[in-house]
Formats: sequence, structure tokens, C-alpha cells
Amino acid sequence: MPASLSPIPADDAPVLSVRNLITTFDTDNGTLTAVDGVSFDLHRGRTLGVVGESGCGKSVTAFSIMRLLPQPMGRIAGGQVLFGGRDLTKLTPEEMLSVRGGHMGMIFQEPMTALNPVHTIGRQLSEVFLLHRTKDKRAALEMSVEILEKVGIPSPEIRVGEYPHQLSGGMRQRVVIAMALACKPGVVIADEPTTALDVTIQAQILELMQSLQKEMGMAIMLITHDLGVIAEMCDDVVVMYAGRVAEAGPVKKIFGAPSHPYTRGLLASIPRLEHERKTRLATIDGMVPSLADMPVGCRYQNRCPYRTDVCAQLPPVDQVGPDHKVACHRWRELPAYSA
Amino acid sequence: MSTPSSSTPAPLLEVRDLQMHFPVREGILLRAKRNCRAVDGVNLTVGKGETLGLVGESGCGKSTLGKSIVRLYRPTAGQIMFQGDDLAKCRGADLKAHRRELQMIFQDPVESLNSRHTVGEIVAEPFLIHKMGDAAWRKARVAELLHKVGLPANAAERFPFEFSGGQRQRIGIARAIALKPKLIVCDEPVSALDVSIQSQVLNLMLDLQREMNLSYLFIAHNLAVVKHVSDRIAIMYLGRLVETADADTIYRSPRHPYTRALISAIPTPDPTKKKQRIVLQGDVPSPINPPSGCPFHPRCPHATDRCKAEMPLLRDTGEPGQQIACHYDL
Repeated sequence: MPASLSPIPADDAPVLSVRNLITTFDTDNGTLTAVDGVSFDLHRGRTLGVVGESGCGKSVTAFSIMRLLPQPMGRIAGGQVLFGGRDLTKLTPEEMLSVRGGHMGMIFQEPMTALNPVHTIGRQLSEVFLLHRTKDKRAALEMSVEILEKVGIPSPEIRVGEYPHQLSGGMRQRVVIAMALACKPGVVIADEPTTALDVTIQAQILELMQSLQKEMGMAIMLITHDLGVIAEMCDDVVVMYAGRVAEAGPVKKIFGAPSHPYTRGLLASIPRLEHERKTRLATIDGMVPSLADMPVGCRYQNRCPYRTDVCAQLPPVDQVGPDHKVACHRWRELPAYSA
Repeated sequence: MSTPSSSTPAPLLEVRDLQMHFPVREGILLRAKRNCRAVDGVNLTVGKGETLGLVGESGCGKSTLGKSIVRLYRPTAGQIMFQGDDLAKCRGADLKAHRRELQMIFQDPVESLNSRHTVGEIVAEPFLIHKMGDAAWRKARVAELLHKVGLPANAAERFPFEFSGGQRQRIGIARAIALKPKLIVCDEPVSALDVSIQSQVLNLMLDLQREMNLSYLFIAHNLAVVKHVSDRIAIMYLGRLVETADADTIYRSPRHPYTRALISAIPTPDPTKKKQRIVLQGDVPSPINPPSGCPFHPRCPHATDRCKAEMPLLRDTGEPGQQIACHYDL
């Protein structure tokens, strides 16, 4: 089992700590391990980015933390999620109800499916307050108006009476953010919060999240496939590949001196505005192997340009710098990185 | 109205004042009282072997413009001059003949491939439609095409669901180049793909362009991707072009306030660059009820009374090939 990969030095205690998380799914083709020994910490007022391609397990990690895995197929098979002195993986579904929404909020990718189309915005927001804060429906509605105002929705007292379809995509995502932040949670998990939005609306939402974090001090776990969003939003980053952490560290280290061949491959394959036009882009050969068909040892080996025989064994987790870790046999032998 | 200038003398495609309006049916009788002006007077040219990038946010009409050009829609008004003929007026056999040279690649590689057909049948369909060759000839051509787009030879007998997103987009590309077209309209061809797969598909498209002297109308919302593959770029907002220029000029000296905001909003994958983001307020207005004057004025940080009243037309900026639809020089 891979040792823990914690991107942050242990000088201040983390708000949430994921330790060797293993999540499996029971399918017709047997049990598949979607997340395999993932560890990281979230810190107050800081943003941790989790980046990787489709199927790398970044969303499953988030759903495991929130205990929202599809039932009965999904199961946390090992590891711990430590939050507020408790291990969330051991809580009963009833105990999780007070954690979810109360102490931990989640922002989903698709604001249209995250909201209930047949209830008004006000009713859906009030539900959060009625569960965690008050018994009074009128007070809950007032709190809803207040939080809508905070996330920058114009004329919130009118909007509470409207339905999700009456709002634009950007406004809907603001409502979802309002819901996640309603009870001032210590941790917010945002799963591709801007992927469904246009780039000018994405800029609005990212700015909103940054200013709310400054004000409320929550820890954010930001899941995205967009390395640009990671660079602009995050303090630390975890690069996931095929259910495991490939590399983790402060964002400046990961982008400035990436040590894992996969991180390098990802960074090289993005078209950038300052690149010369119509030149061939760097690529990563092949594709992510399916969960049922993972190579033994390093999971990146079949796509890695630096692969040797040693890659058939599980890579060790090495310390590159004080808070920068990499899971690769050969990271010391890689050529010096140039962007 | 002025037309964008082009470096090539005779453009392969010239779109003149194209309009595509859709009726909005309302009320009990579903009468069409208003129009959705999805494309509202667009001029553009695409030269031989050239890539014109078309960038805009959702709802700006860029996909409608692309679909009108390949005549999946019948335009409300305007001309689509392609190899000397006006496609906007073509129908029947004429249109079919032109479509051999005018193909399209779609965004969603799952929905744009018939799941009940084998990959071989999908790629061979253009030959069947145009009654080309016999079964053996078609089979040989399909094998050739699959090889060209980097798919294994046995792919022909398999079904689309057996392939990953990137491979499915390769199938769509194989189908599009089957008839050796001159122009391919690519509607968000890589936006559904992961970044490592996206670069593979973009490289394939660049290689094919060089090899076959293809022209692309490359429609996408990601300006960094568009800039990488395009020679010239047109920025679209609410059914109209607001700026056109060659790709480097757009990036180096954008002149329209919308283009500037768009470029500044792209997150840069470099944490050492902390740039000033221009955050636009509000959403894109509805093309059913567009704002008066300049369609961008409700969100523009520089808007004046003139912008509310008067619609700006595309005009030269002085920079060769650059045109903007803005009253002011910022």
C-alpha cells in the first residue's frame, strides 16, 4: 500500500485529513478499486486542488469524504477521513446528516441537476437552515435571502420565489454555492464547479469563491481537470492518476518543477496562448487503462516515456522537497524540467 | 456592410450578411410572434488551407452559424458563397454535390455516431450516400481512413461504444475526411476530451490539414485551443462578430472590450503569473430580446450613451486584417 502523501507541512493541524482512502465498487465484472490509498490534508483558509483526467478517481474521493457513494455498489474499503476528531468513514448515515450541509458543504458540477426543479430556490435553501439552524420557517427564508445576497444574486427577495429554470447557469451555480455555504461550514468540496460554465461566468464564480473564502476562512477542496483553474485558485495540489496520487505539493512547486512524468505530460499538452501557432502539441501516448485492467506496479507505466523494468513494481512515495512528494521510481533520473 | 479582408485572393468560403432567425412560438395558438436572432448579419471568409477560429460563449450563435454554413439549417437571409455557388439558395442534388466538399465534425462523439452501426459502416456511409465504388473498394477505403486517423484496422468491425472519447472523435474525423472535402466545419471538436487526448486530436487535425490542404472553420469556446490551431480568429457575441483579426494579433493586441475580457478570463496554467482579471458583470443577454445599440453594452465597462443607441459596425482598426465592431478606440 502506498505510504501517505501529505502536501502540507504539519505545523498547523489540518481541518480534514484523508488517510489511505480506498474506495471500491462492486460491478458485474467483480470489485473495482476506484480510489487506492489516497491521502491528503485540508487546511483552514487554504485551497487544495485535485487534478486529473476523467476516471482518475477525483470525484469518487470527494463522494467518499461526503459519504455520498452510490449505494449499494460503492464502499469505503479502507482508510480514514478525520474531521473534527471523528472518523467520517465510521459514522452512521444519521450522524452524517449533521456533518453534511452543517459542517461540510459540497458544490456540484451541474447546477441544474444539483437543484430540485420543482421547488423554489427559497424552499431549497430554507431546507438547509431548517435542518441545521432553526425551526422557524420564516427565519429560514430570511436567512436564505441573506445568503443569496452574499453570493451576489441581484434582488434576492424576488429570486427566493423563483424556480431553478428561471435562472441562468451562472446564477444557478451561485445558488448551489449559497447552499453549500449556508451554515458556514469548515470545509467546502467543489467538484468541477465551473466546468459547465462559460469562461466569463467562470471568472465571476472563481472570484466569488475566493472572496467568500477570505471572509469565512473555510478550507476548499477544488476538483477540476483544468490546470489553469488550479494555478489561479489553489495553494496546494494533488495530481491523481488512475485512482492514486502521482504527485502532491504546493502549486508553485508542481507547476514550476514537476517531478512526476504524468504531471509533466499534462502540463506540456495544454495549448497556451503564448505558444507558437499550428505547431504539434506534446501528447501523452495511449489512454488511461480501465480499472479492471490496471498494470501491476506503476499505473502510468504503459504511457510513460521513462518506463523501465523497475516500473512493474509499486513506486515508493519519495519526498522531493519538504512538502512536495512524488510516487515514481525514476523521478531523480528525469531530465531537468523546462516549461 | 464591409466584409473582412483576407490574405488569400479568392476565398474558398465567403459568408455575406448571414442571418438565421428562429421563430419563437408562444401563447395558446403557438403563433410565432418574435424571432430568436441566433445569427444576425455575419460576414466572414475562409481561404484555402486556412483555419478560421470562431470563438464565443454559449448562446452566441457560433454553432448555429456553423450548421447554417453546412446547410443543416436553411438561412433566413444572406449568402454562403462556396466555390462560386450560393449555398444558401442550393437545394436537392446541387446541395448534395456541394456537401461532398463541405463536412462537419461534431462536439459530442457519443451522440454524433449511430450506436447501432459498426465503425466500418459509419465511415463508409458517405460513399454509400454518394454511390461510390463497390463493397470491396469501400472496405479498402475505410481501412485506409482508419489508419490515417490512427485507429487499429480491426476497428471497422467494432461498435462506437467500444471506443474511448478520443477514439470516437477520430471516427468522426475519418467520416468527415472520407470524401476528401475542401472545408470542414468543426463544432467544439475537442471540448469533451481530456487534455492529454485533446492534444492528440488537435495534432491529428493539424496533420490532416497539411496533408490534404483542408480548410477549417474551427468553432470553440476555449480561446487558447482556438489560437493554437487558427490562422485568423473571429469573436462572436450575441449573433454578431465583434472582432476579427489574425490569431497572433487577437492575442497580442485585442481591441474590442469583449475580446479583452474573454482573454483575461482564461485561467493561465502558471501560478507565478498573477494577472488582472477583467470580470464582466451579468450574463449574455437573450437573442430573443437583444439589447438596443451595441449588443455588448449592458456588460461593457466602457459603455456610453452612444453605445446604448447606436449599433457599431465592423470597421478596420489600422492593424492589417483586424476589424472591430466598437464605436471607440480603447
